[in-house]
Amino acid sequence: MTATAKLTVVETKLLVRDPGSMFSFLIPVFILIVFGSGIEPGDTVLLPMTLAISIGLVGLYLMPTALASYREKGILRRLATTPVRPGSLLIVQLLLQFALTLVSCGVLLAVAGTVLGVQLPASVLGFGVVFLLGTASVFAIGLLIAALAPSGRAANGIGVLLYFPMAFLAGLMQPASQMPAIVVRIGEFIPLGAFRQSLEDIWNGGAPDPLLLAVMAVYAVVVSFAAAKFFRWE
Amino acid sequence: MAIIEVSELSKSYAGRTVLDRISFSVEEGEIFGILGPNGTGKTTTVEIIEGLRRADGGTVRVLGMDPIADGRALRELVGVQLQHTALPDNLKVWEALDLYASFYANPRDWRELLAEWGLVEQRDERFAKLSGGQKQRLIIALALVGNPRVAFLDELTTGLDPHARRATWELIKQIRDTGVTVVLVSHFMDEVEELCDRVAVFSNGTIAAIDSPAGLIDGVGAEHKMRFTVATGGEVDPEALTELIRAVPGVSAVRRDGGHVTVAGTGDFATAVTGVLARNQAVVSELRIDKRTLDDAFTALTGRPLGL
Repeated sequence: MTATAKLTVVETKLLVRDPGSMFSFLIPVFILIVFGSGIEPGDTVLLPMTLAISIGLVGLYLMPTALASYREKGILRRLATTPVRPGSLLIVQLLLQFALTLVSCGVLLAVAGTVLGVQLPASVLGFGVVFLLGTASVFAIGLLIAALAPSGRAANGIGVLLYFPMAFLAGLMQPASQMPAIVVRIGEFIPLGAFRQSLEDIWNGGAPDPLLLAVMAVYAVVVSFAAAKFFRWE
Repeated sequence: MAIIEVSELSKSYAGRTVLDRISFSVEEGEIFGILGPNGTGKTTTVEIIEGLRRADGGTVRVLGMDPIADGRALRELVGVQLQHTALPDNLKVWEALDLYASFYANPRDWRELLAEWGLVEQRDERFAKLSGGQKQRLIIALALVGNPRVAFLDELTTGLDPHARRATWELIKQIRDTGVTVVLVSHFMDEVEELCDRVAVFSNGTIAAIDSPAGLIDGVGAEHKMRFTVATGGEVDPEALTELIRAVPGVSAVRRDGGHVTVAGTGDFATAVTGVLARNQAVVSELRIDKRTLDDAFTALTGRPLGL
């Protein structure tokens, strides 16, 4: 097996063994099932909320913690002394965390579509575009956390500290319809809020607001650049 | 043939000179020690040789290659144990060895390393569950899994209990016996004295001396002491005896407190002094000769003891 393949296998095992990743995987499913029992048929709010929670937990909490602790433990530096470059480990980690969000969101859609009878999106293409942009913008923030946090513990703390206000503004704590209009408006300018609102637009059978797509794209590009600029290998 | 050649190597951080034109070479098959207190440029030197840092000036050749320009090829031939390095908590011992083996074109069979480094029973244990000694042995085994020609070991017994340190020393000798050249960075005198064929003594970014541990000790001619007690009431006059000892070449001071005598001097004066005692039929008890150590040599070379 090549080094990259082996690295992928080992990192997958580590991801599965980490209670944090199981936590990020199960929390959104749990929320979906608990609140799903009390929703009207044809609900378009709950599923976008849980999808956004899922991406937020992985992107802001799980992924930055993993990357920062790899640097803290000297694993990236150790890899730099082998024929394999430490960048490979970062790429493998990013792809795996993305795969985790794919699986997690797939499970949410499956549970919602079958058990709960929640409406699924009409436009698969629109959903795909929004999903990719949303994940990219949230992961970009996660990468910036990983770049700046001195340790895995610090990354974990910053991630949690950022997640809760963002989740509140984005309408992930309560349905946006029950929040003040100004708060909802502010929330649309952060990735999680733009992501949830775009999904809701699609769920309602419309096209997502181009402004929301632009918000996510700008975060994805600008914040990733900042993360790449500030990232330290040791 | 020199495996590593360092010449006129310089490095400074933010205007502070860390390495000031140092030069040395490491021969094939030896254990080469880099000794000095923390903050004298030991780790920086090794990291430049490993290609982790760039030098400001000077040249480094490892197996004839430049660590930066020929980095990819060189990393196949070099094994590294870094100071303060860890593995993911949930990684199992065999997985770590198997993974690192996959990085190299011609790795060693990691099952052999598992046996050599006494980790067979820990094969399926997770890194976080290992004892300090077991973790250290795994980290060293990982440095060897690529079948390197040179292994760099940086402060490898820090934090180990005395028993585990001794056990690790035996294993380092085994590495050399398999033909791997070892560069050992340490601030422990006993470790360097026990293991190294040659030592470079680092002091404030320069090399104060390079020699075998025995050569360093002899070279500085550090003063040492012998002590004994002369049985009183015998035929020998203690005062006359003291004078005879004082006349022995190499002796610099003799102090007598009743029957207790302390002789200080340099070189092999102790043999001559015992000869004087024997010829005068002095009945001597509690004879003790303080062995000169690398510690003494280090203090003499750098002007300060290592601990400070």
